Amino acid sequence: MLGEARDYQILFLSLFLVLGIGTRDWTLRPSMIIVAIATCLVTQWAATSFWPIFQQNIRNFFAKPESCSYPQDATKPITPLQPSYRSALITSLGLSLLLRVDNYTTMMIAGMLAILSKFVFQVERKHFFNPANFGIISVLVLTKDAWVSPGQWGEDWWYGLLFAGTGGLVLKRVGRWDTTAAFLGSYALLEAIRNVYLGWTWDVYWHRLMSGSLLLFALFMITDPRSIPNARTGRLIWAAGIAILTFILRNYFFVSTAVFWALFAIAPLSVLADFIWSAPKFSWVKATKSAENNISQPELSPN
Amino acid sequence: MKPFRIFITFLLVLFTFISFVPEAWAFCGFYVAKADSKLYNKASQVVLARDGDRTVLTMANDYQGAVKDFALVVPVPVVLQKDQVHVGDPKIIERLDAFSAPRLVEYFDENPCDGEAPGNREAGATRGGWEPPSFSASDEKTLGVTVEAKFTVGEYDILILSAKESDGLQTWLQRNGYKIPQGANQLLQPYIRQKMKFFVAKINLKEFEKTGSQFLRPLMMAYESPKFMLPIRLGMINSTSEQDLIVYLLSPKGQAEITNYRMVNIPSDTEIPVFVKNDFGNFYKSMFQTSYVKEDKKVAFLEYAWDMQSCDPCSAEPLNSEELRKAGVFWVERNSPNNVFITRMHIRYSRDKFPEDLMFQETSSRKSFQGRYIMHHAFTGEANCQAAQEYKRSLPKRFEQEAQNLAKLTGWNIGDIRKKLPVVASGDSSPWWRKIWP
Repeated sequence: MLGEARDYQILFLSLFLVLGIGTRDWTLRPSMIIVAIATCLVTQWAATSFWPIFQQNIRNFFAKPESCSYPQDATKPITPLQPSYRSALITSLGLSLLLRVDNYTTMMIAGMLAILSKFVFQVERKHFFNPANFGIISVLVLTKDAWVSPGQWGEDWWYGLLFAGTGGLVLKRVGRWDTTAAFLGSYALLEAIRNVYLGWTWDVYWHRLMSGSLLLFALFMITDPRSIPNARTGRLIWAAGIAILTFILRNYFFVSTAVFWALFAIAPLSVLADFIWSAPKFSWVKATKSAENNISQPELSPN
Repeated sequence: MKPFRIFITFLLVLFTFISFVPEAWAFCGFYVAKADSKLYNKASQVVLARDGDRTVLTMANDYQGAVKDFALVVPVPVVLQKDQVHVGDPKIIERLDAFSAPRLVEYFDENPCDGEAPGNREAGATRGGWEPPSFSASDEKTLGVTVEAKFTVGEYDILILSAKESDGLQTWLQRNGYKIPQGANQLLQPYIRQKMKFFVAKINLKEFEKTGSQFLRPLMMAYESPKFMLPIRLGMINSTSEQDLIVYLLSPKGQAEITNYRMVNIPSDTEIPVFVKNDFGNFYKSMFQTSYVKEDKKVAFLEYAWDMQSCDPCSAEPLNSEELRKAGVFWVERNSPNNVFITRMHIRYSRDKFPEDLMFQETSSRKSFQGRYIMHHAFTGEANCQAAQEYKRSLPKRFEQEAQNLAKLTGWNIGDIRKKLPVVASGDSSPWWRKIWP
C-alpha cells in the first residue's frame, strides 16, 4: 500500500505526465523529465548533507567569543537532516508538467534553485516559497529559453474531472483542501464579475476557467502544505490574495503566466500570516500518521 | 520507503520505453506540391509580426462582394494615427503562404541490385469616388462615439473610433453608411468596456480606381500593446458556420503559441501512396477535416514552425530581408541576416467551440516543424538478382501500409484506395511447390 499522502501526489503527477506524453502530443521530452528528476534528487541529497555544516560555519563566523549573547549557538552539535526525496520528486514532476525549456541546463538551473530555495528561504524551519514555483520563476527571469504553456492542457471536461478527483483525494489526506477552495472560489468569482461587466456570454467564462493548467496549479502547487500558512484563517486570506493578484495580472497586464507570478509574490506573506494567526506547523509525518492512526508526531526538516 | 522505490523504478522504466523524437531531418526528399490557403473558399489570412510589445498586424483582404459595400470593423488596443496604417502588398502574403504551406515530397527507390538501401538519397531542394458621409457633432455626443482619428490610406478611408456604449456605436455606424449586422452591439460591448478602440475602414472609390486593381490590398497597422491577441468574435455575428483562419506569426525569439486553446501539430511525416501526387490538395483538405473532427473541433493546428533563413525541402524560396520588411518584420535591417522565426497556425473556428478571442504568446522554442507527406516511388526498371526478388516481395506490404496510412489520415474508403495502388508484377519465377516446402 502507498505509504503517505505524498506517494499519492507522486503517483498522480506521474500519471498526468504519462497522459500528457501519450495523449496531448505535447512538447514534453522524456529526457528533460529525467534531467529534472535527477537534478532535484541530487540537489536534495547535497543540500541536506551540507546545509547544516554550512549553517554552522556561518554561525561560527558571525559568533563573537567575547560576547555572551548566544554562545550555545556556535557550539551546538550539528543536527543531521533527513533528506526528503519524496518532496524533491514532487518538485521535479511539477517542473516537468508546467515548465518548458529549450536546453537541459535551464531545466537543471530550475531544479537546483527550486530545491535550494527550501533551505535558503525558511523561517523557523519552514520554507515559504513553493519550490517548483520558485524554480519556474527563477528561470523565467534568469534565462532566455524558458516558458510556460498555459493552453497545453486544453479544456476537456474529463481532464478537469481527473484533476479535481485526484487532487481532492490528495488534499483530503493532507487536510489542506481549503486553500484550493479559497483560491478557485475567489478567482472564479472575480472572473464572473468581470464577465458580467464586459457582457461576454457565459461560455467565455467557462472557457477561461476550465483550463487544465489553472486546475493543476490550484490542486497541486498552491496546496503544498509546507509552504502555506498554518492556520486556516491565514490560509484562506493568503489564497484569496493569490487569486486577486492572478486576476489583475492576467486581465490588466496580460501576463499569461499570471498564477505563478502571483504565488511567487504572495508566498513570503505566509510568514506574516503565521505570525498573525499562529497554528501548529504542518508535518507530513504527522499528517500521514493522523490520517492512518490518529497519532501525532513532530517533524523537523525543511522538506 | 519501499513504495517510493517502486515509484522510481516505474518512472525510469517508463521513460526508457518512450521513443525519442529525432531532432533533425537527415534528408527531406524532392519537393512535389504544396497545400496552400487557396484550397479553402474563405480562409482569412493574418500576419502578426511581433517583438516585445511592438506589433505589426497585416490583414489580407479576400472580400468578394461589391467594393462599395465593403466595411471592416476591428477592435484595436490603441488609437492609431495615419502613419501607423499602411496598405500592404498582397504578393507578400502569397509568399508567406507558399513558403510555409504543408508539402508533398517524393523519393525514388534505387535499383535493389545496386546494394543500396531504398530511399537513401540526398535532399533535392528546389531551390473611389466615395466621400465619407458627413455626421453631425450632436450625433457624436448623444451616441457617445468619438472619432479619435480620420484619414485615408491607399484605397481605404479609415476612422478610429472610441465609444461609451455599444448601442450608440452600432447606431452611429449604421447612420454613417456602414453595413453592420444586427446583433453586433452585444459583441461590441466587451471591447468598449476593455477600453479598446475600433478601426473602421471603407473603400474610397476614387482612390480604388487609381490603383487599377480588381482586388483590395491588405491593410497593415503598427501599434504597441501588451495585448497579443486576435479578435475573432466579431466575425462570428449571425454565423455558426466554420471559418478558416491562417495566422502567420513572425518573431525574432522563436515559436509562438496560443495560450487559451490547445495547439496540436498537424499529422506529418507520413508515407502515402504515389497516386496522391495528382490530388494533393484534396488529400490535405480531407486530412485536415479528419484531424479537426478528431480533436473535437476546438484546437488550433500548427502547420509550420521554422527559422526563416532556411527550409528543407523548400516549397518556395525563403523571403529576403526586403520581402520580410514588407511583411511587417520591423526588426530586420535591409541586406542583413534575418532573425525571423515563422509559426503558421491554421485555425478552423466556429461560435460554439471558440467562444473566446485568440490569445498568443512568444516562446523561446526554436523547434522546427513542418507538415510533410512522403511518397516513395517503387523501382520499376529491370533487376535480376536475389535482392530484387526480396524487394519485389516486400512491395505489396509496403503499398498496403501506405494505403492504411492514407485511409487513417483522410477517412477515405480503404477499398477505393487499394484500387489505385500500383500493381506489382510477380517477378518470382520459381515453381509453386517450392513455396509449400521451402
